[in-house]
Amino acid sequence: MEQIQIRNLSFSYPDSGCDCLKDVSLSIQKGEFVLLCGASGCGKTTLLRHLKSVLTPRGTRSGTVLYCGMPLDQVPPAGQAQAIGFVMQNPDDQIVTDKVWHELAFGLENLGVPRDVIGARVAEMASFFGIQSWYHRETSQLSGGQKQLLNLASIMAMQPEILILDEPTGQLDPIAAGDFLNTLKKINRELGTTVLITEHRVEEIFPAVDRVLVMEAGRLIVDDSPRDAGRILMEKGHPIRDMLPAPMRIFCESAGEGQVPLTVREGRSWLDAFFAGNRPSVTALPPRPFPKGGEAVKLTDVWFRYDRQSPDVLKGLTLSVPQGCLYAVVGSNGGGKSTALRTVCGICRPYRGKVEVLGKELKSYARGRLFEHCLTMLPQDPRNLFVKQSVAGELAEMNGDAEKQKKVAALCEVEHLMDANPYDLSGGEQQRVALAKVLLTDPKVLLLDEPTKGLDCCFKKRFASTLKELTRKRITVIMVSHDIEFCAEYADLAAMFFDGSVIASGTPGRFFGDNSFYTTAANRMSRSFFVNAVTARDVVELLRENRGGQR
Amino acid sequence: MYQDPFSRCHPAVNFCFFLAVIGFGVVVQHPAYAAASLTCGCVYYLLLRGRQGLSFLFGLTGIMLAITLLNPLLNTSGRHILFRLLGRPYTLEALCYGGILAVIFALTFVWFGCYSQVLTSDKFTALFGNLIPAISLLLVMVLRQIPAFTRKAKQISLARGAIGKGTGENQPFRQRLQSGVGILSALTDWALEGSIVTADSMRCRGYGCARRTNFSLYRMTGRDVLLLACIGGLSLVVMLAGGMEASYTPNLYISYISYGFAAYCLLLLIPPVMYLRERILWNRFKFET
Repeated sequence: MEQIQIRNLSFSYPDSGCDCLKDVSLSIQKGEFVLLCGASGCGKTTLLRHLKSVLTPRGTRSGTVLYCGMPLDQVPPAGQAQAIGFVMQNPDDQIVTDKVWHELAFGLENLGVPRDVIGARVAEMASFFGIQSWYHRETSQLSGGQKQLLNLASIMAMQPEILILDEPTGQLDPIAAGDFLNTLKKINRELGTTVLITEHRVEEIFPAVDRVLVMEAGRLIVDDSPRDAGRILMEKGHPIRDMLPAPMRIFCESAGEGQVPLTVREGRSWLDAFFAGNRPSVTALPPRPFPKGGEAVKLTDVWFRYDRQSPDVLKGLTLSVPQGCLYAVVGSNGGGKSTALRTVCGICRPYRGKVEVLGKELKSYARGRLFEHCLTMLPQDPRNLFVKQSVAGELAEMNGDAEKQKKVAALCEVEHLMDANPYDLSGGEQQRVALAKVLLTDPKVLLLDEPTKGLDCCFKKRFASTLKELTRKRITVIMVSHDIEFCAEYADLAAMFFDGSVIASGTPGRFFGDNSFYTTAANRMSRSFFVNAVTARDVVELLRENRGGQR
Repeated sequence: MYQDPFSRCHPAVNFCFFLAVIGFGVVVQHPAYAAASLTCGCVYYLLLRGRQGLSFLFGLTGIMLAITLLNPLLNTSGRHILFRLLGRPYTLEALCYGGILAVIFALTFVWFGCYSQVLTSDKFTALFGNLIPAISLLLVMVLRQIPAFTRKAKQISLARGAIGKGTGENQPFRQRLQSGVGILSALTDWALEGSIVTADSMRCRGYGCARRTNFSLYRMTGRDVLLLACIGGLSLVVMLAGGMEASYTPNLYISYISYGFAAYCLLLLIPPVMYLRERILWNRFKFET
């Protein structure tokens, strides 16, 4: 039965002049798991918001939205609140109350459900989601992943028929995102709830979904099974093809035959068939050169703790970063990666060890001199840097030189945003404005804390090219990140951070080639055939060389 | 997290108990009553906080001493002059009065300390949520915002510190003020932005669709009713029995205590006795098995 049906929906925001949605028609069956993807600003969120009356934006609209055959605006508000669950991106702001149990009960309280029934439903949901152990906690003390799980659970407590999620894992680290998506799969499989989700990180969810919808500039351009949708995107050369699972990209780019692989496992068996028992003649690419140059940042045996009685966060951290390279530090959450960055910029003072920036010890920098033409840091949430009402004001705060402002704005591609309020921009644009702001101090060392969080693949690509431009100018960039794929593709050097110090480091080819679990999907898929192929491009390249050799 | 048996009672029991104890504590100036209240308060405070509570109590002793000794300097009435300071009399009565003021001051602090440990925000809202639903939800939301606000302010100042825009001590006042205003404006923007999402999230979950019920984890049991009756009964006895009168200046007068004092002590000892009872019970379990 068709649960949701959209017929010829067009919509435009007031004063925008152009249509945000253009003639969108689709239908969703009961119990389906549907993924909606597209570049930022293509109208995904607007479309999702049309599926719930209280969230529907104001503007001119034509076409109809039917819920179970009934126009959506005729479904009573209480019925909609119960039957259509909506999870948004920001884990923090969606939480209303101060206690976990109260948050779970919030929706049911609103609907006026009797107390006994609330008690039973809340208990049920807490058990289903494994929340018992933090049932009595304060919501402010939860981790990002727990918060988002709580948001999901508190909506599931209302027993919705359909669940709509707008980039729910954008602010989460990969482990928490994986947990969240697995829970979602479980909900769909075990409870039969319909799921409609938008995501940037599709690698894990692609194999699980029934259907993939792709939007471009307000139009629905693909509506197909994951395998076919992937193939169509690859054939079209669509810019969002980079977010497809690596096995799929490798298969399509090397013109593979047979069924399109979705997972690493399928990709491996395809490679097995490809080589048909023969050893590949070329197994390694020429290694990327190890970056040379003097040391820009050097940490020697650094120990740090936040408080005399608290445990050590950095335990003998030693690392050295050559000038003009992009140095990526990867590692799991809470390991102290961000603390390491803070030690480099002098906010956290180690109780033992030495920190040197540009060959000079940190202590010998006079107060404030460190941040003049020397070192700067882009925080995890770029909004932490915004204090003015316009982008132009933000830039002017850092440096009065108009010529320089113009140059940096051009480099970061923010010239057209000058009059906008930084809070009105999309995540990727905010990131670029913040980058422009920190670059105006004219740094030689740039520190980045999780710069790719919440960015889609197109924004990531642009961000990477800006970083490459900087390193070409001999600016040293140190980033800490969870985003293994990004680091493998663009970093000059990668290091693994674990338990307070750097465990291993090397060029991405060496480093990720040596890891067997903490590595890219392309590497996991091809590691039994090739030695140092870490990105999809590497694998495609090697396959091409081998094919040439065989023929 | 361990909670003592009194904290695990229904919030109404907790609230009535503190209402009675703090009410009597502030009003009654009889030294025996005040001393009993302070002693029981300290005992219960230590049971709640353990070793960490000691520093607070030591701090209070200092303040108590100061209040006691300073009172005769301001209040000179009384018949027994101990000595003269700069021509003003320093009297015994005023000293005693200072003592009782200090004890009352301390006992209020100690009992409020216990109150904040026992009657947490969720208990308070559970108690008053049904009476004033809108306000109790507002309170819950404010309580959620406070830690979020402080955390964000810290993040912003850290982030600005790392681009050389931090607030240092040796900057001129004007610059520090400007940077403080900047952070405040950033915080406001952030909070407004967040409140839009929160509002959406509330409407998504049907806020305003129907009359709200108030869900709480607490249920009134027979034991709670019994305790409420005890608290009410003992308070009534204390009030009816009298014998709480005392005046200090200009003449010292302290009435004889009556059976009401015994009732008062019983009232104050409810939490420690419940604690003790539970300890004995568990010890017996340990030996029986």
